Amino acid sequence: MIEPAWRLQRLVFLVAIVVVVAFAIWLAVTGSLQAAAWTTYNVTHHCVDVVATRNNCFALGQTYSTLNNFALVNLGLAVAMPALLGLVLGAPLVAREIEQWTNRLAWTQSITRTRWLLVKLGVGALACCAIVGAMAPLLEWWTGVIHRGARILPSLFDISGFVDVAYVLFAFMLGAALGALIRRTGWAFAVGIPLYALARFVVRDFARPSLVSHSIAVSPAVSPAAGGISSPIPANAWILHSGDVPLGRFSPAPGQTWQSGFQTVENCQVAAVSQVHANRCIAENKLHYVVQYQPTSHFWALQGIESAIFIGAALVLLGITVLAVRRWRT
Amino acid sequence: MSEAVAALETVGLGKRYGRRWGLRDCSVRLPAGRIAALVGPNGAGKSTLLRMAAGIARPSAGEVRVFGHSPQRQTVDVLRKLGYLDQERPLYRAFRVGQMLRFGERLNPNWDAVAAHGYLSELGIPGDARVGKLSIGQQAQVAMAMCLAKQPALLLLDEPLAALDPVAREGLMHLLLGSVADGQTTVLLSSHAIADLATVCDYIIILSASRVLIADDLDYVLASHRLLVGSSEGASHTPAGVVVVARTSSERQIELLVRVEQPVTDPTWRVVEPTLEEIVLAYLREQSAAVTDARVGECVEGQQR
Repeated sequence: MIEPAWRLQRLVFLVAIVVVVAFAIWLAVTGSLQAAAWTTYNVTHHCVDVVATRNNCFALGQTYSTLNNFALVNLGLAVAMPALLGLVLGAPLVAREIEQWTNRLAWTQSITRTRWLLVKLGVGALACCAIVGAMAPLLEWWTGVIHRGARILPSLFDISGFVDVAYVLFAFMLGAALGALIRRTGWAFAVGIPLYALARFVVRDFARPSLVSHSIAVSPAVSPAAGGISSPIPANAWILHSGDVPLGRFSPAPGQTWQSGFQTVENCQVAAVSQVHANRCIAENKLHYVVQYQPTSHFWALQGIESAIFIGAALVLLGITVLAVRRWRT
Repeated sequence: MSEAVAALETVGLGKRYGRRWGLRDCSVRLPAGRIAALVGPNGAGKSTLLRMAAGIARPSAGEVRVFGHSPQRQTVDVLRKLGYLDQERPLYRAFRVGQMLRFGERLNPNWDAVAAHGYLSELGIPGDARVGKLSIGQQAQVAMAMCLAKQPALLLLDEPLAALDPVAREGLMHLLLGSVADGQTTVLLSSHAIADLATVCDYIIILSASRVLIADDLDYVLASHRLLVGSSEGASHTPAGVVVVARTSSERQIELLVRVEQPVTDPTWRVVEPTLEEIVLAYLREQSAAVTDARVGECVEGQQR
């Protein structure tokens, strides 16, 4: 069964591999150019350190920023890759057979539908993971080029580590389940994209910040005009919330938002005749400055838990697909 | 005979498509080892019956059993016993013929690879041809070869002869007969080509308007029907002990197709042995007339997918 299962999906996979390899080459070329441009701009000419002291800094800056625009497009493609790959390969897995009536052939041979489905899904899932897994080191390098060390930030987190593999499994199973339920490849794909995007959005914006309990950094509340705040948080951390909150608390008081404390500080600043008055006003309001953040040390824990969520969802979808296939009748 | 498990048995089997019945109250019993013809007009429920027997359509009423087991359970045990040729003759069009056969080999423990290749070389279909590039007739033959190579105990063939030219029809029937000659295989095949069936089949099931009219041994059906021809004036009454199935009358003579228990001796009637085609047509014509009379809505061909 494994050989026919592979033969049935081979063509789609070969096309997918060609597209992914083309993307990989493009990423390698633009990434290298950008890395080189950064080296020239920053290291060789010290354009960042000594502001515009050299004539060619402007031109170099232009080149770098052009490459940065490419990088934004590439980031979008890299984030979309697991979704497109998984859905393109998953949606036709059952639906195409129903559309072309070949399920009537396959499901009247001497093996159960469940076994037929599990082998086909296994072959497809393995191929998906292999493609995305092969891209992971390249993407890891590339995220380093565009933002050194900050891979815990949401948009880079999505294409770093191994979470991509969980995403592609989820997309693949989503496509397969929708295909088995809707029985149309095109519709399964069309419905799959917004559902995938919704799932990713919900997990990323609502679940991920609290998957691992966040760290807290505290410093005295001072006005921004007082010469800036020396950042109390480590470099490259993912800042969840920050603001001035009542002493003794690490989040806004009930009924208040992170903006409320900031407003109080602003009011002190505006009303005060001097910086000393302003600072006194702030002190009277008993505020301190709190930052909630995920440090880079939480990266692998967050990757692991988020991967588990999407793999769990993929298993639920697997169950739905098996049921739909077993229940299918003309 | 009735003690043995039937190859196919249905009890009160029915299939409803929305408000219409595709098949209704169907109770038939097909003994093992028979080659049965399933005849009836379009929409009579032939495909519906075959699909439910193959486990790819769900009955709305009653039950269907294949060698005593429900095909609806999709167990390997039943799947191995079934060979099903769908009306659409589905095949993987991207496969080569040889790959299609290997697919069958991998999925069926009883697969007869030698026979499968034999069938196709007999039919002149090259193993390296793409399935999608074959003619409709050749695709039907490949699909049929796959059914036969599976060596099922019950072959369910939905219109195996449709879309085939007369030579290909004969070739396919030859293939079928050669393959089931050992008497171990039960065959149920639906067809419109009644004349072709008479030489092949030994059992007949007549379906019309989603109901079973006849399900019996072909020999018995032939022996128990007679065509009575009489003049319009002389034949005012039908002979005793016969059941009239169909009556056709013209100005000068009346023709009755009757079911008889004993030989008809009434001298006012000339007694003729009818052909299978005449019997089938008589039943179908009467049934359609009765259906029209009763204003029963026409049944749709079971094309729902």
